[in-house]
Amino acid sequence: MIAGWGPRSLARHPLRTALSLAGIAVASAMLLDMVMLSGGLERSFADLMLTRGFQIRVTPAGTLPFDAEATIAGAGTLRAALRGDPRIAAAGAVLGASVFARRGDSVVTLFAYGVEPDAQGIYEVETGHDLAPGDTAGLLLSDPAAAVLHAAAGDRVTLAARLDPGTAGAGGERTFTVRGTVRWLYDYRGQRSIGLPLRTLQAMTGRAAEDRVSLLMVKVRNGADPDAVARSFRGRFPRVAANSVTDLVAAFRVRMLYFRQLAGILGTVSLLVTVLLVTTLLTITVNERLGEIVTLRAIGVSRAHVVRQVMAEGLALTLLGAALGTALGLATARYLDTILTSFPGLPAAFSFFVPRPDAIALAAAALLVTGTLAGLYPAWRAAGAPIAATLRAEAT
Amino acid sequence: MSVAVAAEVTRDYSMSGGVVHALRGVSLAIEPGEYVAIAGPSGSGKSTLLQLLGGIDLPTSGHVEILGTRLDSLGDRALTRLRLLRLGFIFQRFHLLPVLTALENVELPMAEAGVPRDERRERARSLLDYVGLLDRAAHRPVQLSGGEMQRVAIARALANRPALILADEPTGELDAATGAGILALFRRLTADGSTLVVVTHDERLAAEAGRVVHMLDGRVRG
Ligand SMILES: Nc1ncnc2c1ncn2[C@@H]1O[C@H](COP(=O)(O)OP(=O)(O)OP(=O)(O)O)[C@@H](O)[C@H]1O
Ligand SMILES: [Mg+2]
Repeated sequence: MIAGWGPRSLARHPLRTALSLAGIAVASAMLLDMVMLSGGLERSFADLMLTRGFQIRVTPAGTLPFDAEATIAGAGTLRAALRGDPRIAAAGAVLGASVFARRGDSVVTLFAYGVEPDAQGIYEVETGHDLAPGDTAGLLLSDPAAAVLHAAAGDRVTLAARLDPGTAGAGGERTFTVRGTVRWLYDYRGQRSIGLPLRTLQAMTGRAAEDRVSLLMVKVRNGADPDAVARSFRGRFPRVAANSVTDLVAAFRVRMLYFRQLAGILGTVSLLVTVLLVTTLLTITVNERLGEIVTLRAIGVSRAHVVRQVMAEGLALTLLGAALGTALGLATARYLDTILTSFPGLPAAFSFFVPRPDAIALAAAALLVTGTLAGLYPAWRAAGAPIAATLRAEAT
Repeated sequence: MSVAVAAEVTRDYSMSGGVVHALRGVSLAIEPGEYVAIAGPSGSGKSTLLQLLGGIDLPTSGHVEILGTRLDSLGDRALTRLRLLRLGFIFQRFHLLPVLTALENVELPMAEAGVPRDERRERARSLLDYVGLLDRAAHRPVQLSGGEMQRVAIARALANRPALILADEPTGELDAATGAGILALFRRLTADGSTLVVVTHDERLAAEAGRVVHMLDGRVRG
């Protein structure tokens, strides 16, 4: 392939080329990660919210789901109103509260979800069974809770809603039977969560009288617009906040603006680094080969041909580097994700870096443009070198 | 029609210390089939004249014609095309592309001229055969000796059947025996009808030429 003399020149200094490739790979890995980060947060958040198809969250006014300790009173009325709306397919309430279990001499704090198993959007059963309708003494465990309690399906577990200050033990105890283990969609890593029937948890924590819950989750029927349903619900019940996932994503986007700006800046920096690396390397190799290049010009090779070859060299370098960078970027993203999602308070199912094809395509396109631009200056230098003067300088 | 004409060409270089008059008014015509040597002491302007004849530099005044076309009437593209199709260059330092094989180096000007692949490969092989290097077709320049590289460069210069071959000190980097091989090749080229202008310090080379142009201090002597 005669026409490939530009890109082929990269093989003349394998070590130098390899080092440059490594540099470009690192920069493009960074770029890919930043592109994944800037869009991934939002996408991951939306995906997570919609895992079980519940598109609306009803929370205490002025809060977001599990934002605060606040609760909504009169959940039954709200639930009835929601279920009466023909656009709504399902509505279920969730109450979050701390409960305690005794383990030998010590007391273990657990996070309890009071759930309505027939309309719940917060867990998926992994082993054993879900809570049956009317079951008031059934218990669901997360894996970390099962581990700390040494309990499995069929075992009995005694729980209390408050600590007895006198004996440092638990008071108001009730005994439950474990029905199964579940994955709580919004748990952080290692969270010791358990699930109880909503009514039971309300009773244990003294919230039954006012029928208090932390939030309600709503699923609309196919064809209904969740945003419109949320809006009309807000109008009807001003004392609660009703947000569709679209609303929540918008709020989330505002909170994550900093992240996205950071990602934008770092992504731009890595593009700049790529440009500088490619331009530097090309300028060096073009200078080394200026004698050859002007000789080609002397024997009748066009400027356009020289420009094409040098740009092809830059593009080859960028593409090779980017290919390596993609692999590196995906690996780093996975690693960083495990670190970041182990932060307490963050749902473990959340992803900061989402390897979406459009993110990869965007990063690749940016690199392609960059690689092309990076070749411009060295190509222009190579094609524009004065032939006679350069040959003379080369001869001495 | 002359293959090349230089009409009262001068070439000045402005330097920080003043102007260098490399050529002070040279007129010269090269006729088809001629073998012309340009001889003269160092700094007399031989290379400068050759570069002007080859259209890789332009005179300060006067003009150069190749096959009746004034080079100063051409833009860069047309001038490059003319060099590609009408002229063949041979340099002291060969300047082959190190990433290409001998065969590919010879093919390159034909590829640039748009010669179809099979045809140019065929012709490149016969040119390598002509310079006695067919068996080295697949070798890279680093695997060749200086004399062999120069012969590949000669094959490359012949690729597009140039009307005029220009060589600047083609034996300058070679030992006497190897240089003699190149001279023999030039002899064969003229016998086959090529037109050749060679700049040289080499007395033997000058002696073989049909005409010797002696230069001194930017002028043709005598
Ligand atoms: N680019 C340039 N800038 C300044 N001076 C130049 C330049 N090119 C050539 N000269 C000067 O022009 C004169 C003629 O140079 P030229 O190379 O043509 O001589 P030459 O006869 O080929 O010499 P040699 O036998 O040493 O190759 C010299 O004095 C040289 O220094
Ligand atoms: Mg010279």
